[in-house]
Amino acid sequence: MSDEKMESDCYDPAKVTPALQLDVEQFYYREARLLDNRQYQSWLALCSEAIHYVMPARTNPLVDNSERGNESMISIERELEGADSTGTPIRNETYPYLMLRVERSFKPNAWAENPPARTRRIVGNIEILDVQDDRLSVTSAFHLHYSRPGSENFLYAGQRRDVLLRGEDGYKILDRVIIMDVAEIVLPTLGLFL
Amino acid sequence: MSISIADVVNDDATLISRRAWSDPELYELEKRGIFGKAWLFLAHESQIRESGDFVQAYMGETPIIVSRGPDGAVYANINSCSHRGLPVCRSDHGNTTKFVCPYHNWNYDVTGKLVAIPQERHVKGRPDKSKLGLKAVPRVESWNGMIFGSFDPEIESLDDFLGDMRFYLDAFFARFPQGIEFYGAPQRWKINANWKLPVENQLGDVNHGPFLHAAVIPPEANAEVFELGLSVVPKPGHGATFRLMPEDAPVESVAWGFEGMATLLGGAEVQDYLREIQAQAKERVGPLRSRMKGLTYGVYPNLSFLWSNTAFKVSHPRGPGQVEYWSWSVVPADAPDDFKKIMRGNHTAFFGPGGILEQEDSEAWVQQFQGSKIDYAEDRPYFYGLGLGEEQERSDMPGLVSVTANEFYARHFFRRWRGALEAAQG
Repeated sequence: MSDEKMESDCYDPAKVTPALQLDVEQFYYREARLLDNRQYQSWLALCSEAIHYVMPARTNPLVDNSERGNESMISIERELEGADSTGTPIRNETYPYLMLRVERSFKPNAWAENPPARTRRIVGNIEILDVQDDRLSVTSAFHLHYSRPGSENFLYAGQRRDVLLRGEDGYKILDRVIIMDVAEIVLPTLGLFL
Repeated sequence: MSISIADVVNDDATLISRRAWSDPELYELEKRGIFGKAWLFLAHESQIRESGDFVQAYMGETPIIVSRGPDGAVYANINSCSHRGLPVCRSDHGNTTKFVCPYHNWNYDVTGKLVAIPQERHVKGRPDKSKLGLKAVPRVESWNGMIFGSFDPEIESLDDFLGDMRFYLDAFFARFPQGIEFYGAPQRWKINANWKLPVENQLGDVNHGPFLHAAVIPPEANAEVFELGLSVVPKPGHGATFRLMPEDAPVESVAWGFEGMATLLGGAEVQDYLREIQAQAKERVGPLRSRMKGLTYGVYPNLSFLWSNTAFKVSHPRGPGQVEYWSWSVVPADAPDDFKKIMRGNHTAFFGPGGILEQEDSEAWVQQFQGSKIDYAEDRPYFYGLGLGEEQERSDMPGLVSVTANEFYARHFFRRWRGALEAAQG
């Protein structure tokens, strides 16, 4: 990676102040608490009605020999088949789909969650990459412990790439791309709120 | 000593032992009698259009490379080097001129022919490379772009194997001016269940919908299935379910329904496109098939077509207790790319590893495998007798036809399964 690239990759202290970092971290901690407490209706209130919620598929592409020696040769982006790809993302949803999922969660015949899973997520590496007016680009990493009666325990790991919208009543999630770090999907569901 | 298959599936297949789902010895017989014999789905030609294009596939547990040769033909080879057995291809899909084994760099071309053994120049003898290519799948045939392979060189033609199933598949394929294509790579995930339950689920078991999926599927959608739904067995082991819509049904109600949520949210343009397709359906597929609004299909042994959410699926066995499930989005080939992206949402939102509906299915399949392993229930085989003998022939469509609650599709599948396993026992 060139020096310029390194520089542009660092946060701008004029935009990302300690107060802003604290504010954004608190948002993510609260979001994690709501999700682990199964307060999905409260969580949905953190989503913009214009939300685009995507979990790209992750494939194993051929290595391009001409990229040999460059970081781009093994870049994660090459593996992702997201919303704009001609592949099939695992999830590619808007607000009505998230609403449907939230409604489902509070019905006793949502059998995959009866009894409900016990989850605990640790959200970290919260990095504010850019601030443009009322929009913040933020990446974070998560580990999620998932446990259901009668099942094994599972560890989910991934990255979230968000665009947060700052408004009068706090932040709303406008865009979320979830990069799952699993090569073989042996997890019981990727239909969770992540 | 060897199992009596007649003790596992009774003569009319109304009773099926729990062992059918969990017994390792039966699984070995399935590998020989079913996955070593039948036509197995490999890929769709739209995935390998150009010379050098390839995708990975499986035949049972055996990894296969499906590729397009420079001669335009389709090749299917086992992904295992003739020298020490390593896979020569590690990518899911791509375009290449050669497959190279990492261990000693034996080189194969895209047709599977061995072209180079780098270390042979250091020895005096030259191995006969023509005998050391990748092991080719002995039979490869296509129907309507669907590529199948079989390990049985003597197997009947793919056309005969599919038989009248083609009539029902074409009700979808031929609806579109240029047929269909597979949109990108499949979603792939593992489920701790037996491979046959996902198959049975799609083969004809639409009746679990109102119960297992009651949290999501609205009652009016279920009512439509009960009132207008038909289940067909065109040939034992295959199955098709659909709603036969009234002749005066509004075009929208046939072109998309509840399961077309992505289309419903996708805007007027994609809806106009589908309205137009449906308006032309009578011309393309005839008056009867134009009224078909598909639900789920199954092609023996492990290919499924979820017409309602436009996905093809394969249930790859990984031992008796695990499935590697593959699921492709299927779109009309002639549609503009942005419509294709909208329509694939009917698949991804509801099915696949993150699907709203699929999570309930996976849960049921995992729990059924648990139930199939429990002790002290040997005398309580599963009941497959619903609707016994109620299926009938109809003059306007091929095969045996009945209401969707009739489990005849499964009885036919298991009778074929029983015959295949008995043949494998010899």
